[in-house]
Amino acid sequence: MAYLVQPDYVKYVCSCGQMKPITNLYFCRHCLKIRCGFCICHEVDSHYCANCLENMPSSEARLKKNRCSSCFDCPSCFHTLSTRATMVQPRQDPASGDAKVENKQPKKMYYLSCFNCRWTSRDVGIPDQPVASGGWPERVNPFANRFAQLMEYYKAIAQQEKQEKLDKERKKFAIRGNYITLTDKTGLTGAMARNRAGMPSSESTSSAIANFVLSQATEEVEELPDDYHSREVNLKMITTMPQRLASPEWQAQQVSRLQPIARPLSVKRSQRCRQCDHNLTKPEYNPGSIKFKIELLAFYHVPEVKIISYETIKPGVTSALLLKLTNPTAHEMQIQLIQPNEVPEIEEKEEPKNIEKSLEKSLNLEKDMSWKSVVERKPTLPSAIKVNNPELTFTLAQRDDAAEYDDDSHHDTNDIILWRKSNKLALRLQLTADENAKVGLPAVAVVALQYTYRNTVPPTSTQPRDHTLYTTVTIDLGIVSQ
Amino acid sequence: MTLYEGIALIQEKQAVVLDLGAHYTKFGFTGEAAPRCIIKSEFWCPMERRYKQVYDYNTTEELYDNLVQMLHLLYFRHVLVNPKERKVVVIESLLTTTQFRETLAKVLYMHYEVSGVTWWDTGRACAATLGVGTALVVSIGAREAEVTPVVHAAPLVHAIQVPPLGMQAVRVHLANILKEDNETELQLDDNVLEDILVRTCFVPSRTLAIQLASEGCNGVRSVVCGGAGTSVRVTGRARALAAEPLFERDRDMASLPDAVLQCLIQCPRDTRRVLAENILITGGGATLPGLKARIAHELRHLITVEPYKDQLHIKTFKFHSSPCEDNVCAWVGGAVCGGADGGGRAEPRDVYLRTQRLRDWACLLHNTPPDHHHRCP
Ligand SMILES: [Zn+2]
Ligand SMILES: [Zn+2]
Ligand SMILES: [Zn+2]
Ligand SMILES: [Zn+2]
Repeated sequence: MAYLVQPDYVKYVCSCGQMKPITNLYFCRHCLKIRCGFCICHEVDSHYCANCLENMPSSEARLKKNRCSSCFDCPSCFHTLSTRATMVQPRQDPASGDAKVENKQPKKMYYLSCFNCRWTSRDVGIPDQPVASGGWPERVNPFANRFAQLMEYYKAIAQQEKQEKLDKERKKFAIRGNYITLTDKTGLTGAMARNRAGMPSSESTSSAIANFVLSQATEEVEELPDDYHSREVNLKMITTMPQRLASPEWQAQQVSRLQPIARPLSVKRSQRCRQCDHNLTKPEYNPGSIKFKIELLAFYHVPEVKIISYETIKPGVTSALLLKLTNPTAHEMQIQLIQPNEVPEIEEKEEPKNIEKSLEKSLNLEKDMSWKSVVERKPTLPSAIKVNNPELTFTLAQRDDAAEYDDDSHHDTNDIILWRKSNKLALRLQLTADENAKVGLPAVAVVALQYTYRNTVPPTSTQPRDHTLYTTVTIDLGIVSQ
Repeated sequence: MTLYEGIALIQEKQAVVLDLGAHYTKFGFTGEAAPRCIIKSEFWCPMERRYKQVYDYNTTEELYDNLVQMLHLLYFRHVLVNPKERKVVVIESLLTTTQFRETLAKVLYMHYEVSGVTWWDTGRACAATLGVGTALVVSIGAREAEVTPVVHAAPLVHAIQVPPLGMQAVRVHLANILKEDNETELQLDDNVLEDILVRTCFVPSRTLAIQLASEGCNGVRSVVCGGAGTSVRVTGRARALAAEPLFERDRDMASLPDAVLQCLIQCPRDTRRVLAENILITGGGATLPGLKARIAHELRHLITVEPYKDQLHIKTFKFHSSPCEDNVCAWVGGAVCGGADGGGRAEPRDVYLRTQRLRDWACLLHNTPPDHHHRCP
């Protein structure tokens, strides 16, 4: 719970340099590195409606513009609309005086209603429907027609441009003219190519271009009625900005023109390590399930650090910090606290660039690593507070859910180890704040952990199962006080 | 290249169109008549525990992070497609800073690995919704109004006017009037002000504005906004005069209609008349009732007085209206053009990765004619 409602007091440094709480991190079992939302690749896995929990194949979702066909949201307050049924007596048709008896059966009719704000589809004159789901009149964008014409027109121009360029290229092949280089590219110079786009050349044969009607400018501009300012303003009849923007196609300004909003779909995402392309999370397909098929969260693989308590940090003063370490894995873990600058730099294995490699690159077979240069950063760690690490290696037992109920606290407690309970351990650490630490600034201690990790699924059998890994943690200790 | 990728290449994916405005972001697919979403240009920042504006940044790195988070929101919450290997059409102002452009390019090409980006400026994109090649585009945005002459589908960069007369200026003015009229220190947040502005305010015609200036605004109905406890009395004065900053001329003729005329003065003589007869007033600000009509009145008045009377020999002003809502005009232009060329004009990813440079009109590297002796080989 603390992770949900409280600020993040303890942050881990991700392999990309971002600092995040452990609950926001992933652990790639193949690279043996911490990853975060910033440095991994997100992918759309499946579309579903969060209201009716129906899955929708992505091709269908594309067709339906990512909207559910049976759920609607209130256009007034955005709450989900409910379908209400009423019984109606079929109206007697006066023309056919002797109506048949069986027609007098009352019929069920349906309308949409909002339980939150009482808006109903009848308010805006949408006729009741004979079926409970679907069948609601679909609205088309009022500008759809003109837009289609514009599309046709510009497509024809693009086609013509392409043809002309081809012709020109063929003609000017011998004297590879300046003209091509000028018009070839995007940007302002490219505008010169489009210049002809705006004014199609006279020899244009395309009917789409010939038949297109340009927009006509007029001298009249729509004026407000003369008494507009003295009319009463009824705010109940004018929509708010969120109501308008909820349906970008018709942005109704009058409340009377609001229409039910087909509910937008949501997606489940799967996440992938960019370095090795393995999945870090993969959700189950069933929209009702919150489980994952693959779930490599740091919370299950990296030792968790929590603050128990701390003394106020004062410049030049040594204070105590109580931490709790937890081993979340199913194997015993050896942990040692080290200084952040003692974490060995992981050198990227630069393979010698031989001819084969460059050939691979030219064939586009080599993995694209261009993202690394923009995603990865060197974190700037504060150094005003020094943690006096004990020269000790602690052994943390594996996680054992049954052990929670045991009461056998180990009795190897001393100055440093406060207590120990199954896979948890409480530590007392000494902090020394720098004499020059500025009063009033945040006090952040940095500590690095060296820990052993057993990879239960090594990628190949030749690779070792046991590893020594490092992680750096920043601990928020309030502000430096006087 | 695997077989699968080959198939993917044949079925060109529908590109997305991105218009990152100062207040609102428009995002959707090319070939569609309206964006899929219009949302505030802000995202929840878990580190700072607040909503953060995309344009709220001090360093390039911070901007990079903002853009990554904003695009994540747009791709995975709103249009629900993978950014990877999909093209993007970006709508931008010609006066976007190099820092912003290059950071956005990095985020798109390298962080999200999109397959290509086409850059369209607001002026050309708006004009494209009309089908005409020459137009004077007055786009009233959140922070500033941009007056761009587009001649034969090319923007005349030297004549562009960008007065800081956007909806933000109107909002600030409205807040001041409300404070005076309610005689209390109102702590209205931007959303409430926007709500008051779009639902109650209007722009009086020129004749009415003159009349109100001399007689006061007692004739204009007032209205009470908001519920119990937070209600604000919006006086007639606030309703009618909120947009007045756009038309104030006392400071160096810096009103919006002045900017339009000054832009015309900067344009080549032979284009001025055509431009004046092809004006498009658009942008989110143009949705304010009566604004377009007022600009027309002011233009027709100003052209009869000094200094424009002698410099511009324009008799008629004509106005277009684009086939879309005003606040999405530039986006729709991008959706039409980006859809029509099938992404053919996009700068492909591999080209960008080789040089990591963007073509920019302000950069001589790209604008020096090929045979000029200053051009690098
Ligand atoms: Zn990361
Ligand atoms: Zn549904
Ligand atoms: Zn409702
Ligand atoms: Zn990996």
